[in-house]
Amino acid sequence: MSPAAQAAPPRTAPPAPAPAGGRRPRTRRGLSDAGYATLLAAPAVVVLLALVGWPLVKLAVDSLYTGSGLGDGRGFAGLDNYVTALTDPAIRAAAGRTLAYTVIVVTAELVLGLAVALLFHRLGPRARILQTLFLYPLMIAPVVAGLLWRFLMIDNVGIVNELLTRVGILDNPGDVSWLSDPDLVLFSVALPDIWLTTSFMTLVLYAGLQAIPPDLYEAARLDGARGLRLLVSVTLPLLRPVIAVALIIRGVDAARAFDVILIQTDGGPQSASETLSLTIYKTMVSYNDPGTAAATSTLFMIVMMAVAMVAVLTIWRPGKES
Amino acid sequence: MSHLLAARIRTGLLWAAAVAVVLLYGFPFAYLVLTSFKPAVDAIAVPPTVLPERFSLDNYVTALNRPGVTASFVNSVSTAVIATLLSMALAIPAAWAITRYRTRTGRLLMAGSLLVRMAPAVAIGIPLVTILGAVNLTDTPTGLALAQTTVALPLSIWLLASFFEGVPREIEEAALVDGCGRFGALRRVILPVVSGGVAVTAIFAFLASWNEFLFALLLTSIRAQTTPIAIANFQSQFGLDWGPMTALATLYSVPAVVLTLLLQRRIVAGLSLGAVKG
Repeated sequence: MSPAAQAAPPRTAPPAPAPAGGRRPRTRRGLSDAGYATLLAAPAVVVLLALVGWPLVKLAVDSLYTGSGLGDGRGFAGLDNYVTALTDPAIRAAAGRTLAYTVIVVTAELVLGLAVALLFHRLGPRARILQTLFLYPLMIAPVVAGLLWRFLMIDNVGIVNELLTRVGILDNPGDVSWLSDPDLVLFSVALPDIWLTTSFMTLVLYAGLQAIPPDLYEAARLDGARGLRLLVSVTLPLLRPVIAVALIIRGVDAARAFDVILIQTDGGPQSASETLSLTIYKTMVSYNDPGTAAATSTLFMIVMMAVAMVAVLTIWRPGKES
Repeated sequence: MSHLLAARIRTGLLWAAAVAVVLLYGFPFAYLVLTSFKPAVDAIAVPPTVLPERFSLDNYVTALNRPGVTASFVNSVSTAVIATLLSMALAIPAAWAITRYRTRTGRLLMAGSLLVRMAPAVAIGIPLVTILGAVNLTDTPTGLALAQTTVALPLSIWLLASFFEGVPREIEEAALVDGCGRFGALRRVILPVVSGGVAVTAIFAFLASWNEFLFALLLTSIRAQTTPIAIANFQSQFGLDWGPMTALATLYSVPAVVLTLLLQRRIVAGLSLGAVKG
């Protein structure tokens, strides 16, 4: 069994050798185990269908209409809204920015998260206090993180530019306008997201590192592997499935980012930090165009679901050894 | 001897690096808290200082006296409590059914929960505005809690399933032999065994609701406004009043920090399970 499989034990593994006679006999009440299990799960299923299934069906239906549905302005539009969603330059640009934002966030988190995880792994359990402190940002609300980083980065007054000036990287605290320079803003708005969830990456990768049997390192060391070579040839390949799961979870979350960006820039300047979630929200609330908003969300949803499906089917199956 | 010295130095450097990383990482939040205790004018002083030169609670007084702010805390608490109770009531039996009986429905629910977690919140939130409006639940804590259940419930199912996974079969069998019904065994025997896991899951469900923003923005206006929205409104309504804003953000983060402290070790376990498995 690979170490990664140990990090995420097989959920679908058959129960340990069944006692002779197989299944448990039916209980007095007459409801079979399967029936009882269905009964237990039914309320959750019903609620999810009502609160997620129904809204999504309604979304798909709304995407075929124009107007708000409140007055007499509602009319069947066929696939017009989808044509708009796919051709509108603003929406296309937002889709591109969403992808760029996701790549920025996930790459930065992976590199930082792996570095910190390796550091903690090396230090071992004695560093537990440091590990726990490092996890704290995970509990902080994205809206607070966004606000906080906006405060750190405000032009002239922000502590980031002040400190950068003091150590001599900047000549003047006003030299970098993190949140008002259209070329820079997509990176700047990503900082709080990176700050918030690098901890998550570290946590997952640390768990993965713990699961690698030490004798594998011993063997590699005997073969003369050291430092970076050890990392590239032993650690990273063994960590691959864990990295993949973490990347998918974080990638999906980053692609949905909304509050962190809204609170910092509201998508500006000149929409330079407007990702799809913000565009959809604005199309709905500010431009009062529910049809296009619904069509865009439906497409966004389909793409995300496709990614999630691929994730579920290929990666999240630790029980199926290749 | 020099070999040993070199190893010592290397370990020392690693520790120094780890401490530096944690300090650097903690700095933004520490700076927020420190700023909240500065007098309002010092909070936006040019150039900014890290440590407060004068200590003051003015920002807290100003923030709490703003209309709607205290009400938003009440709303945040009641919404999060409703969402947590609802999620736990639904997730406990569902997660037990999934881990204990391993039926096809169970696996579907598990995969479905994962898919729901991946759905963009706007896609669910926008139609929910009309749906909750039709049953007169917009701008109420209950309506918002229902919407947030779409986040908290799948998360709870996954976490609880991980915790139930660790319960030995024999415990339930012993309870059944002792005359408990299947449901009685779950309620009186299994749940106490995993009470730690249930507590951690409840905290995660609570925080998922407490920290949630998009549904709150779409589904509340005045009456049921939660604190994240109050924080966001601070800027448009009153200009950028940084001092009181940092105070409000600090206050609002207190429950998250306290809850995390209370169940620290278990939370790390919960995070790893939830993280690696889903």
